[in-house]
Order: sequence, then structure tokens, then C-alpha cells
Amino acid sequence: MTGLKLRGVRKSYDAVEVIKGVDLDIAPGEFVVFVGPSGCGKSTLLRMIAGLEEISGGDLFIGDKRMNDVDPAQRGIAMVFQSYALYPHMTVRENMGFALRFAKKPKNEIAQAVNEAARILELGPLLDRRPKDLSGGQRQRVAIGRAIVRHPDVFLFDEPLSNLDAELRVHMRIEVARLHKELATTIIYVTHDQVEAMTLADKIVVMRAGVVEQVGSPLALYDDPDNLFVAGFIGSPKMNFLAGVVEQDTVRLPEFGNQSIPLGHLTHPPAQGSEVTVGIRPESFKRGGDAGLELTIEIVEHLGNESFAYARQSGGQMLTLATENGRSLQPGQRIAARFNPAQIMVFDKSGQRIR
Amino acid sequence: MTRIFAQLRLGLVYGALSLAAFVSIFPFFWMLVGTTNTANDIIKGKVTFGSALFDNIANLFAQVDMLQVFWNSAFLAIVGTILTLAISSLAGYAFEMFPSKTRERVFAVLLLTLSIPFAAIMVPLFVMMAKLTLINTFTAILLPSIASVFIIFYFRQATKAFPHELRDAAKIDGLKEWQIFLYIYLPVMRSTYAAAIIIVFMANWNNYLWPLIVLQTNDNKTLTLVVSSLASSYYPDYGVVMVATVLATLPTIIVFFLLQRRFVEGLTGSVK
Repeated sequence: MTGLKLRGVRKSYDAVEVIKGVDLDIAPGEFVVFVGPSGCGKSTLLRMIAGLEEISGGDLFIGDKRMNDVDPAQRGIAMVFQSYALYPHMTVRENMGFALRFAKKPKNEIAQAVNEAARILELGPLLDRRPKDLSGGQRQRVAIGRAIVRHPDVFLFDEPLSNLDAELRVHMRIEVARLHKELATTIIYVTHDQVEAMTLADKIVVMRAGVVEQVGSPLALYDDPDNLFVAGFIGSPKMNFLAGVVEQDTVRLPEFGNQSIPLGHLTHPPAQGSEVTVGIRPESFKRGGDAGLELTIEIVEHLGNESFAYARQSGGQMLTLATENGRSLQPGQRIAARFNPAQIMVFDKSGQRIR
Repeated sequence: MTRIFAQLRLGLVYGALSLAAFVSIFPFFWMLVGTTNTANDIIKGKVTFGSALFDNIANLFAQVDMLQVFWNSAFLAIVGTILTLAISSLAGYAFEMFPSKTRERVFAVLLLTLSIPFAAIMVPLFVMMAKLTLINTFTAILLPSIASVFIIFYFRQATKAFPHELRDAAKIDGLKEWQIFLYIYLPVMRSTYAAAIIIVFMANWNNYLWPLIVLQTNDNKTLTLVVSSLASSYYPDYGVVMVATVLATLPTIIVFFLLQRRFVEGLTGSVK
């Protein structure tokens, strides 16, 4: 098993810098997910690790070897693309064995490797078909198979499930997780879907505008985000953000009829009168607590196991509340949405977390 | 009333289509009929099959060394097509895969040259070939056409539909750029190549003006030159001319029918 080290890795196209100095350690066998909105540079960073994009500055180590200028094929990586990138003129078998054939491996060794990958991915009956005769999910499995056959040190996945429908995506997500368990190889996986990130990753790397915002385990990012961006990105439905002003031990919320929330749980409380943003996760309202907000419900969505209520104070900002016993909630109803004040997160004006 | 109008309209449509079909097909029919008639019958406008086919063929072969002429045309068309496709598809691939501002400018200049008629560059080209002592050689015919701006443009446009991720996947599989071109791009783009083969082969096979200027001895003449010289003699034997014309038409028809399906795919987009 091989780990990776990125040290001050940069990428610029002419004067535009798209990756602005990334430092990252990936342990051998770790499943790391790069997540972030479109255009944040996560795919570019992956392509730089693969050797498909030149590295403008910094160092990339795969194992102990500096790989900045090494050919993609010599880096010990294999990549699965969003569009599968299967060679359309070759059968599944030829697609999967192509890299080995090119590396002049003996025929029986190639056949053995292809059959082994086909067994793992249950591709046996499809080996003599061409990509155009396969469904989206099958194509994706072939693309993964093509990667497995090479026995890489590191698997790179570039939004591999984006082209699949919702049901298949869940199925393939489980497949990828199973694969990681079976192969025990380092995986770097790019997605913009935070559910994929949360469910698959040992470690999530949240990126924005070419910068790593935070690195951590899925639950660490959910429970303890460093800034507004990470807090908003991780978690579904999204965290509620309320503008407030600090007054003594509380934060006053002008958009919510100047109601106040106690701030007693903070170790380093912000200065009096400073403007802050308060973050409350929708699911914090499930558990109730000492603090509460008077709100009027506008829309209710029932999902069966839980309900989402969208509520606000007249003319103010809309909040999302998740409830487990909200089947009786009605639009227009006035409620006191209760939550535990210790669970709220407070962010300063620049978006950094105040703990 | 409306039924009468509808039928009248249908009649007009069929009439117009029949006329168009007649105009397109009749010359071919007349060419075939002409091969079986004597020159006098053809001039008189006879449009039924006659019995002079074997006389006409014998006369043609007596007047012209057909095997040599056919070989000259075939050699120029086949070698020209292979060279043009090799050079121009490589150029089209490179323009699309390695974009840069300089290359865009070069490409724009290349496109501009499409607006210059061949007649305008004919004389300078001839002087150039003369200085290179290439007059009356096949090289002089092939050289100006192998980097065809139109075919480069055609391949560049077709390459836009080539999935770039295939190239990335091939790089990770260990292929060098030329291997990606040869083992991935070429087979994936075969319909594009088929359409290009038809276009270039026909252009080379039917090429008239430039060979007329450059080729000066009889043993180098191509089929189009021979047909033209047969038809422009003092007393043209149209039966013989028609036999030569049929022979000149056959290869392009064969190439077209062999590649027809791919030709259509190639023009409508070859990457699925």
C-alpha cells in the first residue's frame, strides 16, 4: 500500500492560478474524497496527481518518490473517468487488458488479471461485448475493472457516479465501498455530492476556489467545521445561517424579531456588539432544548420518516427545520422551534468559526 | 375541390422530382448507351443501345496505352489519398488537441488560403516545381495536395467530437501521443476517414488542370487527361470517348459504394 504527500502544489494557466498551494497527506490504504462546488479545482488536483495536468509548483510524492515529472503510466495509478472513457472499438475484455497488453505482459497473465477483475465486478458474461452494448452501470463497472486489472498503488476516481441515475448511484456507491474493503488500496475520489463524500470517505478534503478549506473525517467535518463554507457544504439539508449581533452572553437576531440565543458554551466569546453568523443545523430542532425561536411555518415537506418545515418570522430569512414528529404541522401555523443552544455554531464576520 | 387540389399538388411534386431525377440520371444513361454506338449515331442523338461496343473498346485500346494510363491515375489517386489523409488528419488532430493562441492564428491563415482559387497560384506553383526540376513527375502532382487545408479543417472539426477523456485514459494506460493517434483516434474516427477517403480520392482521380500543366509526356498522362484529349481531337470518336469516360467513372463509383455507409456517418458525426 502506498500513501501520497502533496507539498505546496500549485497550478496556473498563464496568469490565472487555479490550485493555490495544496498541502495534504494521504495515508496508505486511505479512502480520501475531494469535495467542493463546481470549479473549485478538485478535478484539476486529481488530474495533476494522475499526471494529466502539469504541476506548476510544489511537490507530489507517491510513496517516497517525487512524481511531478513522471509519466502517468509510471506513477502506479489507475483512473476511472466520469464519462467512463472506454475505448469504443474494443470489447470489454480488450478494454480491460489494453494497458497490460501495452506493457507487453504475457497473454496468460493478462487473461488471468482480466478474469480476476471480471469476477470481482461480476462482468463475466459481458466480456465479449462492446461498450455501446452496455448500460451506464455496466460501463462504469468495466471502467473500474480496467483500473483494477493494472493493480495500481492508488485509484483515482473522477466523479465516477455522476452520469448514473439515483438508484444506480446508491448501488454503485456501495460497490465502490466494497471494492475498497476488498482491494485495500489507497483511493482518491472526486465528487461534488456531499452524500457520496460522507458515506465513502475515511477523510474528506473540502475545497473552494483552489484552496483546501478543511480536511477531516466525515463526522469531524459535520460536527466541527472550521468555517461557514464547510459548515454549509457538509450536511443535508444545509445548515441554517442567521445574522446576529453579540450582546452580553447572547446573540440578538434582528431578522427574527430581535429574539436572542444564549452563547454560554463558547470558550472564546466574541466582543460585545460584533456581527456574527449563527449556524443551526435543521436536525438540531429534532431534539428540542432550552433555546427557541418563534416562527411561522410556510411550507411543509413530508418524507415519511421525517418532515422538513420551512419557516420564518414575517418578512425575515427562511429557516429549514427537520422534525421526526411533524406530520401534523401545517402552513401558517406558529411554532416555537426549540433547540439546544450548545449545538449552535458561531462564525465571525470573515466566516471563521468562533469556538 | 380540395381533393383535386391535393392530387394536382402531388402531380406537380412528382413531376418536378421526375424532371430532377431525369436530369441527374440521363447523362449516365447516355454515357452507357454511347459506349455501344458509333460516333455518327451519337452525334445524330441516338439514345438506344447499338452494337459497336467491342469496336469502341478495341479502338480505345489501339489509340491509348490504357493499362499505363489507368495505372498512372490509380497510383496518383491512391498514393495521394494516403499521403493527404496521413498529413492532414495529423494536422487536424494536432490543431484540436494542442490548442494555443499561435496555433489558432496559423489555423486562421490556413483557412484564409481556402479563398484563393487554384488558378491564382498555378503559375507560381509551376515555377516552383520547375526550379525543383520536378516537372513531368508524379511528385509534382502529389506535393501541393498532401497538406489539404480543407481536409485539415474537416479533421479538426471532427476531432472536436472525439472524447478527450479517451486520450487521458490512453495516457494512463501508457500510450505515447503517436500511439494514441494510431491505436485509439484512428479506429474511433474511421467513419471520418471513410468520408475523407471518398472526398480526397475523387478529387485526386478527377484532378485535371494541374496534371495537364505538369505532365508533359504521354507515358505519364492520367485518365482524365486522356478522356479530355480524345474528346478534343479534330474528329472525336464519341463512342471511344464514352468507353474511356465509363472507365474513368468506375473507380470513384466503386470507392463510394464501398464506403457509402461510413461516408454518411462521417458527415453526420462519427463518434458515438
